[in-house]
Amino acid sequence: MVDREWIIKKVLAVLSMLVVVGILLIVVFVTKAALPVITKVGLFNLFSSNWYPPTGHYGIMIFIVGTLLTTVGGLLIGAPLALGTALFLTEMAPRRAATIVTRGVEVLAGIPSIVLGWLGLIILLPWIKALTRTGGTGIFAASIILGIMVMPTITTIAKDALETVPADYRLGSIGLGATRWQTTWRVTLPAAKSGIIVAVILGMGRAIGETMAVALVIGPATSYAKGLFSPTHTLTTKMLMEMGESSGIQRSALFFMALVLLLIAIALIALIRVASRKKAYAR
Amino acid sequence: MNRDLQTTETAFGIEAGSPAVRRSAGRAKRTDRTATVVVWSMAMFGLALLGFIVIAICWKGLLYALNPHFVFGAPRTSAAGGGIWPMVWSSFYLAILTLVIVLPVGVGAAIYMSEYAREGFMTRSVRFGADVLTTVPSIVFGIFGLLLFVTYMGLGYSLLAGALLLALLNLPTIMRTSEEALKAVPNSYREASMGLGASRWHTIKKVVLPSAIPGITTGAILAIGRVVGESAAIVYTVGTFVLKAPLLPTQPAAPMAGNIWYLVSEGGLMIPDAIKIASAEAAFLLLLVLAFNLLARLIAWLYKRKTRTAARFV
Amino acid sequence: MKKKGLVLGSACLLLIVIFAAVMAAGCGGVTGNVTASGSTTVQPIAQAAAEQFMKQNSGANVTVQGGGSSVGVTQVTEGSVNIGNSSRELKPEEEGKGLVDHQIAYDVIVMIVNPSVTVKNLTSAQAKDIFIGKVTNWSQVGGANAPIVVGIRDSASGTREMFDQKILGLTATNPVKPVAGAQESNSNGIMVQKVGSTSNMIGYTSYGYIKSSVKPVQLDGVTGNLANALNNTYPLGRYLHMFTKGKATGATESYINFVLSDDFQTNTVSKEYIPISKAQAAIKK
Repeated sequence: MVDREWIIKKVLAVLSMLVVVGILLIVVFVTKAALPVITKVGLFNLFSSNWYPPTGHYGIMIFIVGTLLTTVGGLLIGAPLALGTALFLTEMAPRRAATIVTRGVEVLAGIPSIVLGWLGLIILLPWIKALTRTGGTGIFAASIILGIMVMPTITTIAKDALETVPADYRLGSIGLGATRWQTTWRVTLPAAKSGIIVAVILGMGRAIGETMAVALVIGPATSYAKGLFSPTHTLTTKMLMEMGESSGIQRSALFFMALVLLLIAIALIALIRVASRKKAYAR
Repeated sequence: MNRDLQTTETAFGIEAGSPAVRRSAGRAKRTDRTATVVVWSMAMFGLALLGFIVIAICWKGLLYALNPHFVFGAPRTSAAGGGIWPMVWSSFYLAILTLVIVLPVGVGAAIYMSEYAREGFMTRSVRFGADVLTTVPSIVFGIFGLLLFVTYMGLGYSLLAGALLLALLNLPTIMRTSEEALKAVPNSYREASMGLGASRWHTIKKVVLPSAIPGITTGAILAIGRVVGESAAIVYTVGTFVLKAPLLPTQPAAPMAGNIWYLVSEGGLMIPDAIKIASAEAAFLLLLVLAFNLLARLIAWLYKRKTRTAARFV
Repeated sequence: MKKKGLVLGSACLLLIVIFAAVMAAGCGGVTGNVTASGSTTVQPIAQAAAEQFMKQNSGANVTVQGGGSSVGVTQVTEGSVNIGNSSRELKPEEEGKGLVDHQIAYDVIVMIVNPSVTVKNLTSAQAKDIFIGKVTNWSQVGGANAPIVVGIRDSASGTREMFDQKILGLTATNPVKPVAGAQESNSNGIMVQKVGSTSNMIGYTSYGYIKSSVKPVQLDGVTGNLANALNNTYPLGRYLHMFTKGKATGATESYINFVLSDDFQTNTVSKEYIPISKAQAAIKK
């Protein structure tokens, strides 16, 4: 009986290590595929702004900036909305409204990204085109789509963070005569600060990694965006667009972009570990 | 002590205090009201947005999507009026295949993490790895799948390659929901079982796991929703268009999410109503995902009812 | 008695043999699996061929996937698929691996504009200037006073490579780039969708994808269509290929023969592309 227990325990341990094996496999394979371009053209070339394969230039700075801008834009739109909804759910919603909104957030989280991108293509873009008389595609459209996509993530985690604030904090504040908003603003939110930061960082991760939905509305174009309504590329959209027909060193350059994204993902999670000692799982 | 926190209403509802205090109190009350309105409208705006999205997708495609000829018909490559049955079949086949792979691994890992493991370097690295896995972009997964499963392991475009990849993608989610379900089982169950002399594994197999099944099932159904909606990862591993529903996992397939991408990109050459089919497929896909979400919620609710009754006897 | 038994027995045997032969021949023709992958440009026409082929040979199962020309060539070289579709020629590093080229059609590339654009013809010089950004307003080429929105294909596209070489003059020593801010599409379908819905936009696409939502533009006074490509007055075009590892055999061979057959070429291919026989005879590369 002891022997069987031991075997089972070891088998299950191996199963749980598969997650680590998986992520290591991804890092190894992507790095291996990225090495040719790193050794052939060098990191200086790779981080320049010149992406022009016919002359051997594989600078990815344009895409990094694109990822940065769309992520910031998406967070600017999605985070306040998410925080507001989280506050609504934890501080002031009557029970039935809370249930409806919670379900709504879940449904929003489940919408496939291609469906959202498709909607952006056939409804959002024409609307922007009509309003601004530009091409319509670009950072603005992508930020809206991304905002919609990160909102459920941030809402859920921020809600958890707010819920773990001990009730005594709130009660004490109300007891001293503060209004509900004063309590929220000066007591609850600061207490949940680290959890909310984690929520925003995870939303950032989601925004950085989103591919399909952004690809359909961001243009794309291999150049810096001249404004909110001019097309550009992100790391993920460039990879999606060119992986099919590319070969040789150009394909290796695309894998280099994948490597950059992987490193960013690892860095973000490490950041979260530092920002919060309590939270064990990400959502 | 901050003046704002001084009360201005006594038990008799009379505003008391100096004019300055009354002013700041009034301001605080106004801020409270404004904040309440703002927060409420944010939440309602979110709901309205959701409603708008669902209605817009349905308006564009629902009519055609609910036509049985569409759902159960075969696709046409060069004429209008094609159906999407092989795509629907592909999506479900892929989902089931993925579950077959990811459930044993994920639940097993969750059992280890919640029942056996002590917090240490290993559990910390497992959780770190799981978190990183959820943050990896789906396109990176897709090209990794192309490298490892399609090319290196020689599986080619196939349901199997896609299932292996999506199993990896959903592993953290299944691990998390299963671990939560296991942790929700009251410790008294475990203590009672082991008090009766059962070994740890026996306890898990006969007592803890059965109680956690509903929670695990909810996680599994949500994973189906994610698999069916995944597109960037499967475009490079499973396929984008088939004429016949695939029978073997080693054959290529065309899950709906990837098919929509194909119809928008190249399909329009020979398929005259490609956009119409894509809109309808998107609507159908959305409804399917919503249905799965509802199903998961239903099971969770039924489970809650069951434990409420059962708890009376514990 | 014995003789009768012998006759009966051999008659039965003969019937069984005939029955088996009929069964083996299938409910009409070829059986077997054929897998193809590669260029998304070739995918639709290959799918159409697959559908018709499978109607005639119900025992056959042909699946055509995408992934891009490079993926197709790699997979057929490794043997993961029977046919690698490609919209470009083999690169130097892909040659010498035993791939057999089957050209299946000739694809004509045409410049297209949004219906809001009034310009109907562009000279090669004008086209070049527009795409490299020297000319930025439609009024400079005889149109209305409106900024030109340029659409191109992504930098891995064979279509783009050909267009850049023939119109922009891209060579090994002349690394000319399209104008910054040009919107990229990674497929003909998306290009047409964009040009059709964005005012003042210009792009290029395969002849077969031109829909009523966009207007074709003449190049040097020549309309981009199949006839003009055939008589060599219109220069933009390329061959579409199906590569096999070694000579095609079995169901693969039957399928490729079907794609090259007069029936398929005349009835289906000729709607969007130039049938291969005509192209090989007439077009000078």
